[in-house]
Amino acid sequence: MSLRKILLNTTGADRILFLLLLSVSLFGIFFIKDIMPQSKSVLIEVNGKPVYILPLDKNRILSVEGPAGNTTIEIKDHAVRVTDSPCSNKLCIKQGWIQSGSIVCLPNRVVVTVGNKDRQKDGPDAITG
Amino acid sequence: MQLRDKYRIALLSAFAIGIHGIESLLPSPIPWMRLGLANVITVIALLLYGFRTAMLVTLVRVIISSLITGTFPGPAFILSLGGGVLSTMSMGFVVLLAPGLFSAVGLSIIGAFMHNMTQLILAYFLIIQRIEAVLLIAPVITLAGTLTGTLNGLVSETVIRNLKKDIIEKKHK
Repeated sequence: MSLRKILLNTTGADRILFLLLLSVSLFGIFFIKDIMPQSKSVLIEVNGKPVYILPLDKNRILSVEGPAGNTTIEIKDHAVRVTDSPCSNKLCIKQGWIQSGSIVCLPNRVVVTVGNKDRQKDGPDAITG
Repeated sequence: MQLRDKYRIALLSAFAIGIHGIESLLPSPIPWMRLGLANVITVIALLLYGFRTAMLVTLVRVIISSLITGTFPGPAFILSLGGGVLSTMSMGFVVLLAPGLFSAVGLSIIGAFMHNMTQLILAYFLIIQRIEAVLLIAPVITLAGTLTGTLNGLVSETVIRNLKKDIIEKKHK
């Protein structure tokens, strides 16, 4: 009994089922990450202390008070930027929009970090010494 | 139940357990992924001897295999039992409701799919309990199940055809 003969003897329903499951699973593999809600969050720290933890998918503008004055932070379309800062070199504003990593404003002691919620719960990987 | 049916169930179960044992020795790209070749026996039992035989063969295979591998009352056994029973039931329902609509290949794909989905749901409640992880892994498992299900179905179809040919030849002699 050859393989070809058996393949020719499969019913139409067999083939439709096969193609359907194949396409649904392939579609799922490629697109499930987009369908799932993003779990990223924005952590804003002043002077080393966390002040705000905000979801990255909610647009908003807020300002936090540091030692040198108010820093204004904007969250829009899954990205964060610093729009206004009292510091002299304005490096934090020049950095623009970020979707991961962090913006540091040293003069005003403000740190904005984008990361996964899960990761922030984890402790240090290892401690030596 | 006739004595002949008992012999038949015993023989088919022995085949299934043997295949299951050999299969667990084969190397696999992902640890929990298996070909599920024992399902070939279930499909053959279902198409040649009916639902009752197929279900009994599945139950005997799952219980004896878990006793041999030492997973008997643990979560691995519950996953195996749930998957086996649900996949046999789904194939039985399809044969009952629409006989002839699917060949052994289609039945095997349905069985593999139901087996995987049942195991995924049971694993969610027993082990993982994180819905994102389950959703992420579901399409991968479905793809693998469809491919191995097709392969098993082709094997089942070959065996069934050869068995039927044998039976017809014996009658003519």
